[in-house]
Amino acid sequence: MIINIGRQLGSGGREIGEKLAAELNYAYYDKELLQIAAKESGIAPELFTKADENSQGKFPGAYWGMHIPYTNGLMPFSSGLDNDSLFRIQSDTIRNLAEQGNCVFVGRCADYILRERTDCLNIFISADPNMRIKRLMEYEENLNVRKATEIMEDKDKERAEYYNFYSGKNWGRADSYHLCINSSLLGIDGTVRLLKTIVGKLVEG
Amino acid sequence: MNIPTELGTEKVGVLLRRYAVPAIIAMTASSLYNIVDSIFIGQGVGALAISALAVCFPFQNLAAAFGSMVGVGASTLISVKLGQKDYKTAQMVLGNVVLLNVLIGLIFTFLSLAFLEPILFVFGASEQTIGYASQYMGIILCGNIVTHLYLGLNSVLRSAGHPRKSMYTTILTVVLNSILDPLFIFGFGWGIQGAAWATVLAQIVSLLWQIKLFSDKKELLHFQKGIFTLKKRIVSAALAIGLSPFLMNVASCFIVILINNSLKKHGGDLAIGAYGIVNRIMFMFVMFVMGINQGMQPIAGYNYGARQISRLLEVLKKACFYATLVTTSGFLLAELAPGLVARIFTHDEELIELAKYGLRISFLAFPIVGYQMVISNFFQSIGLAKSAIFLSLTRQVLFLIPFLIIFPNLFGITGVWASMPSADIIAAITSAIMIMRQIKKWKKAGIMSETLTAA
Repeated sequence: MIINIGRQLGSGGREIGEKLAAELNYAYYDKELLQIAAKESGIAPELFTKADENSQGKFPGAYWGMHIPYTNGLMPFSSGLDNDSLFRIQSDTIRNLAEQGNCVFVGRCADYILRERTDCLNIFISADPNMRIKRLMEYEENLNVRKATEIMEDKDKERAEYYNFYSGKNWGRADSYHLCINSSLLGIDGTVRLLKTIVGKLVEG
Repeated sequence: MNIPTELGTEKVGVLLRRYAVPAIIAMTASSLYNIVDSIFIGQGVGALAISALAVCFPFQNLAAAFGSMVGVGASTLISVKLGQKDYKTAQMVLGNVVLLNVLIGLIFTFLSLAFLEPILFVFGASEQTIGYASQYMGIILCGNIVTHLYLGLNSVLRSAGHPRKSMYTTILTVVLNSILDPLFIFGFGWGIQGAAWATVLAQIVSLLWQIKLFSDKKELLHFQKGIFTLKKRIVSAALAIGLSPFLMNVASCFIVILINNSLKKHGGDLAIGAYGIVNRIMFMFVMFVMGINQGMQPIAGYNYGARQISRLLEVLKKACFYATLVTTSGFLLAELAPGLVARIFTHDEELIELAKYGLRISFLAFPIVGYQMVISNFFQSIGLAKSAIFLSLTRQVLFLIPFLIIFPNLFGITGVWASMPSADIIAAITSAIMIMRQIKKWKKAGIMSETLTAA
């Protein structure tokens, strides 16, 4: 069973994923993915970190300002370090890890990358804005409400762009997932218990 | 993983030659198209026709910019989708490219044909050149949809795993154009219209070949029922990606319009023609350097990714060296034999004199343009897109515009020509500072230690 979790920043999605993986004795991958992808490809991990969950920088070549017609777009080679190439490498990593057995993936379009598999449960976790801001301020010191709100909104936009660009689906919209849940409803542990029950039912068949 | 490991082990000089030579051939071939067209028009029609052609340049480029906006965006999307083995969406992108290109091409054609003469006057035409310019541009615009489809499908062809076929298509267009040009201009006596027909016809033939390639059902991507409906997400994603190169193209059109008008004001129609000649010669050398840059990209990218900084800097140094060699040859040609160059295009003595003067001044800083372009592209290949965009803008837009506004008012036509080397110098200094700061940053981060022991 593969569990893919999409999440809003500050919704507790990562904590839920981690706890769920521990309860079920599944492997858990979040940022670890980047390290593994870097190791497999021989590309420095900083580059993956920089491109992480970011579709920006789709910059198709320094072929500019030539002042001359009909010469656009002659780009036979790419450097292989653009975000799209790194996403491709990361996708291979995700597919390989999924082959190795039960696991939980957080973010990185894993639900789309593993769309051909029939053993996936795709979840999206949101939370009330107040709860998210509170969580963000707990995690990081020197953060006021305004700043936290700003970070929250920016991150939502960034993740939506990334997800929508690569998956062609809508980030956070019900029809993109099997299950969408607001973690404010049952709390972190309550949500983990609920998800565990659902996974249990699915595994039993 | 299919990154060839030779990129990390083979000698850098050998690699650079292996990757750069095909790119240089492709680049030079496409620059030949513009030179050939100009030579036949200059020799077969006359000096004013060269001026008219130079006036049409930014217009033609603007039309092509719309076409390649769709193509660039779509080809990025397709390579992403193919990387995910999402063939269904990739097919849809192909269908959407065709529809969008036809749509945008039609709108552009109608709007610009309706206002053809006013637009050409804004772009620098005069009573003497408007006849030639509108004859030429009218035909080019009628073939606009073909141009758009041809550019769009060529981008798709490349990202669908056929970079070679895409290159052959470009070369086919150039060769056809070079054969049809003399036939139409000298053989049939069609004048400047002959050149326009040659361009359009060459593109039609190439487009037919592309359509044949995409009709092959065995191909990963091919035309089929159901892909020809516009999908909002595909359209908006493709246009969003294509937007930044599009804006760059528009900016460069604006610059040419500025130069043309300035030349017209201070030197008359023939001065615009002289710029047409200068621009083409410069372009040929620039394309050569672009080829070197293309060869550098994968080598720099791989070694940066693998943190082999000494190899990274070696490829940078080698590319800078070759690029400087190329631009210095351009400089020598323009300074020592400008008359020889100008005579290839025309036998009008006044135009020859103007072109000689223009060549001499605008090539003054050309030797340092080589490394400036390499550094700009280097930032691109190590994933620092913002620095790369900034640097490629400096030389041709950001620093050039103020000079183009101030200099001509002070020094007349000399000022227009002098703007170019002036902007080149500041841009070259800027890029030198930026690359030095980048290297310092690496040293600080400690990833240079390997270089230090190697050096």
